[in-house]
Order: sequence, then structure tokens, then C-alpha cells
Amino acid sequence: MKAHIKRKTAIDIAFYILLIVLSLVFIFPYLFMVNKSLSSELLVKRTLVPFFPWGWDQDGLVWCRPTFAAYRNIFAGKYNYLKNTWNTLKIVLFNMVAVPLSASVVAYGFAKLEFFGKKFLFALMISTLLLPSMVLQIPQYILFTSIGWGQSAKPLTWPNLLGGGAMNIFLVRQFMRSIPKDLDEAAKIDGAGPFMRYALITMPLCVPILIYLLVGTFNGYWSDFFGPLIYLNVKDEYTLAIAIFRDFNSNYKMTEVPNGMAAGVFMSVFPAILFFLFQRRLIDGVMITGMKG
Amino acid sequence: MTSKGGIGKRILKTVKKSWAGWLFVLPLVLGLAIFTFYPMVMSFIYSLYHYDGVGMVEDSVVFRGFGNYIEAFTADQDLMFTIPDGNGGTMFNRNSVFYTTFRYAVITIPINLVLSYLLAVLLNRKTKGIGVFRLLIYLPCIIPGVVSGLIWRSAFDPAGLVNYWLDKIGVDVSGLTWFRGETTAFPTLIITGLWGLGGSMILWLSSLKNIPDTVYEAARLDGAGPFTRLIKITVPMSTSMIFYNLITGIIGALQTFSTYTLGLGKQSGLYLYAVKIYEEAFNTASRYGYASALSWILFAVIGVLTLLIFRTSKWVYYGEES
Repeated sequence: MKAHIKRKTAIDIAFYILLIVLSLVFIFPYLFMVNKSLSSELLVKRTLVPFFPWGWDQDGLVWCRPTFAAYRNIFAGKYNYLKNTWNTLKIVLFNMVAVPLSASVVAYGFAKLEFFGKKFLFALMISTLLLPSMVLQIPQYILFTSIGWGQSAKPLTWPNLLGGGAMNIFLVRQFMRSIPKDLDEAAKIDGAGPFMRYALITMPLCVPILIYLLVGTFNGYWSDFFGPLIYLNVKDEYTLAIAIFRDFNSNYKMTEVPNGMAAGVFMSVFPAILFFLFQRRLIDGVMITGMKG
Repeated sequence: MTSKGGIGKRILKTVKKSWAGWLFVLPLVLGLAIFTFYPMVMSFIYSLYHYDGVGMVEDSVVFRGFGNYIEAFTADQDLMFTIPDGNGGTMFNRNSVFYTTFRYAVITIPINLVLSYLLAVLLNRKTKGIGVFRLLIYLPCIIPGVVSGLIWRSAFDPAGLVNYWLDKIGVDVSGLTWFRGETTAFPTLIITGLWGLGGSMILWLSSLKNIPDTVYEAARLDGAGPFTRLIKITVPMSTSMIFYNLITGIIGALQTFSTYTLGLGKQSGLYLYAVKIYEEAFNTASRYGYASALSWILFAVIGVLTLLIFRTSKWVYYGEES
């Protein structure tokens, strides 16, 4: 018996060591990014740059200490990332209103109302999820350009008022279906029309899924790369993702690495905070998304 | 069927019953029509035309039938499997976007499936603090793509951190060019992709949770060890998730378009199909017609593969009759 318990603890310890090693490997990109952003220019000029943001310079003459210079550079130095942040936020905030609003209206129709053609429309919507986005990008670009939206953020915002994405509608509909019908029925008997019932009965109960949608929308548009890459060609309109890409990804110099990493830390920190705040809901949400098949 | 009332009355009845629902789904109907189906039809039409650039004069848009498709398969060196070797013969084209993209899919999908599955099995144990570990392993998935491009290109730079460490433990790093070398770039993309395993892991975890404990209990009583339980219970009962991951994996891999792969050029070893479409349509040329044809070829390939997998999906277990 005693030997058995001993063996069990040994397995447990090995298990935790394995997990800790794995976790360190997986958060390596974060550690790397933070360290780089704190490295001084002199340090990153070395032929082989160390992990931690301190050490001797190439000739072994100067000891380099960690510095916040890169963060100053990107906001108040040679880069103006506040402007880019604002550009990103404009798109993000618009969509954080448009997506949940539009998706929940359509989802309510699917979840709580009867109408001719419902099954067909729903199947049609789901089938579009399998469509590669590549097929739509070129004609959408031509369409938006022809109505004068070519060099603007409008293609990344206004279309979301029309449905807000098939996946989002699907998720909200699934959630609304789990709300007991009785509530809706009772309100109906009291004379509440469908819009009243949507706004006053169903929506207040949908807060959990709406939070999921809000966080997802924030992350999606905060990090969006391809959309802004195609549509935003004026430097003044660049979002964070495009500014980082244009400034640091195309042809970067070693000395620019700390600046790029500081911008990277700034950009990654918000999705990470949101994730920590709402992790339970988000992981559950990821699971629902995954189980749709 | 009903004898009372004509067609008019029946329509009226349907409208009366449906108007509210229609009103609620109207945004979706408009959205699908304007932003999905209209573009889809136009995309196919464009693919039949020689169409370069927005707002060009009408007569520069010339109908060429399946000319774009024929060009893709017979004249575009980026797509061909064999190219002239300069001595009058032909040689295998290592930089063909077909080859690069399929190679990427064939290598990453199994690696991703197996490793993320093992991670999930490992993290499915109910022990203290397991939630924190799951969180940490998932965390790299929410780094914005453009930022992870920056991180990996810097870490895997010839003068970057990975080489610094390898150098310290005595490895000769002079040939380790990572993203900068034609032959090393591709494996590097696959290695750095491993940090995204957390996404699939979460999906696996959800399917593992659906397997009732009683099944394991019974197996344990019958004397099945951990490995037997994994092979005989866990794997067979997660086949629907394997199936889902396989389909989305293929669709995703064939469309891979990451910031690493942009601007590296055709010889980089990372010239993927989606990058080729982007280059044709938006970057160097504005060959909308040709790029549309390329996107339909991709669509067809994905469609055929998906159908094939669905057809051969008898091995998928969807749980007890629901």
C-alpha cells in the first residue's frame, strides 16, 4: 500500500514538472517579446542577442541595462502608434455595437419566430461557412471600390450591420433556444409584440453569449490583418496591425527590434487581459463553436 | 391540399404568420445577397474575363472563356510541377504553389491533430491547478498574427535567440538560416506553427469531457491500462472531433496566409497558394480575372477534398442516437 502511494506521488510530481516545462515553452513568445521590448539598441546590435534584456555589448565594453525607451519611441518618438490605436479602435468599437446587435436580431428570428422559408435560409447561412473567404475577397473589393469605399475602413464596418457573421448568428441562436419558451409565450399573451419580446424578454437573458460575442469581436478586429491590408493604403488610416507590419515586418533592421516588440506587447496585451477576465466563458464559447458540426 | 380558400388566401395567411420573422432575418437576407452570393457569382464571371484593375476602360475587359484556367495550368510557372531546367529538359519545380501548399497541409494537419490530441489527453486529468496550465498553453493562440510574425522572425533570425542558445550548447549555427533560407524556411514555418496547438487542444478537451466516466470505470475494472483505455475508448469515442478537426484543418491549411509568408518572394520556399492569389490580385498586379480563376481552383480542390472525406466518413462516431 505504502509503495503504491509513493509511486503515485512520484507520478504526480513528474506530471507537474512536465506541465511546467510545457507551459514555459508555450508562453515563450510572450517572454521573448517582453524581453526584446526592454532591450537597449546597443544590446540588440550584438551578433548573437541574449534572451534577457541585459548583458555586455558586442565589444564587451558597455553593460546594457533594460530600458523603456522603445515604449517611448512608439508613442511619442519616431512612431505615432496612438494614432494607429485610435484608427483600430474606431473599427473595433463600431463592430462591437454592430455585430452583437445585428446577429442577435437575426438569431431571434431563427430561435423564437416561425416564418416561411426558415429551414432553407438557416441551411443556406450555415453552408456559407464552408465557403473559402478567398473566393469572395476579390469581387467584394471590386464592389466596395465601385461604390467609393475603396480606400476607407467602411468595408470593415458597415457590412456587419447586415447579419454580423453566420457563425455569430448561429451561436446566439443556439443560446436563445436554451431559454424556456414560457417566458416568450407569457409576454405574447400580455400583448407584447415580437420587437418588445426581443428587446425586453430575450436580450437581457443573453448577456453571457453577448459577452462572448463582444470579446470575440474585439479580438477579431483588433488583430485583423487581411482586411486592413487590402483596404487601408493611406498611412494616416493604418490600424495597429498594418502599421506594425509596414514598419517592422517587411524589411526590419536589428536596431528596430525593440520598437517592434514594444508595439507587439502593446497590441497583445489587450486580448490577453480580456481572455483572463472572461476565460471561463471564452473557453466554453470556443467549445460551442467547435461542436457545431 | 386545403379545399377552402384560393392561392391568394393561402399567401395572405403565410404572410400574416411570417412577416415578423421575415423582418428579423431581413438583415441576413440582404447581407447574404450583397456580400456573399452576388460576389460569388461575380467572382466566377470575372474568372472568365481578362480583367485588370478597377475602373479601367470597358474594352480592356475581354472575355476569354476558360482562358484564365488554361493559363493557370499550362502557362503559369508558379503553379507548374515541372519547369525547364535550362538544358532543354525539365526538372521538378520546388517552388510550385501547389507543391508548397499541399506539402504544408500534408505535414501540418497530422502533426497538429496528433500533438494537440496528446496535449488534451495530458491536460484532461482532474488535478489541482490544471486550469492554469490549460490557460497558459492556449495563450499563444490569441497573439495577433502580425505580432507573432514579428516574434518568430526575430527569434528564428540567423542572429536571433534560438541560434544564440544553440550556439551556447555547442551547435554549429552557421547553416541555420531559418526563415531566411530557401530550404530551412518551410520547416521553420511548421515548427513555429506548433505554438498554436492550444486552439485544437481546447476542442479536444471538450470532446473528451463528453466521454462518460463510467466507461473508463468499467474498462479499469476489466483490467485495461492507461494506454489500452486511450486506444480502445478515448480515440474511438472522439472520432467526430477528429473528423471536424480534419475538415477545418484542410480548409485552413490550404488557405494559409500568414504575415511571415508575405513579401518573401517566390524563391522563399513559403510561396503558398493564398499568397499567390493575393500577389496576383492586390500586390504586384491587379489581375482580378486571373486571381478569381485561381480562387475558384482552390474552392474546387477544397470542395472535392471535403466531399471525399464526408463520403469516407463511416468511421465517425456521433454518440448514441440523439
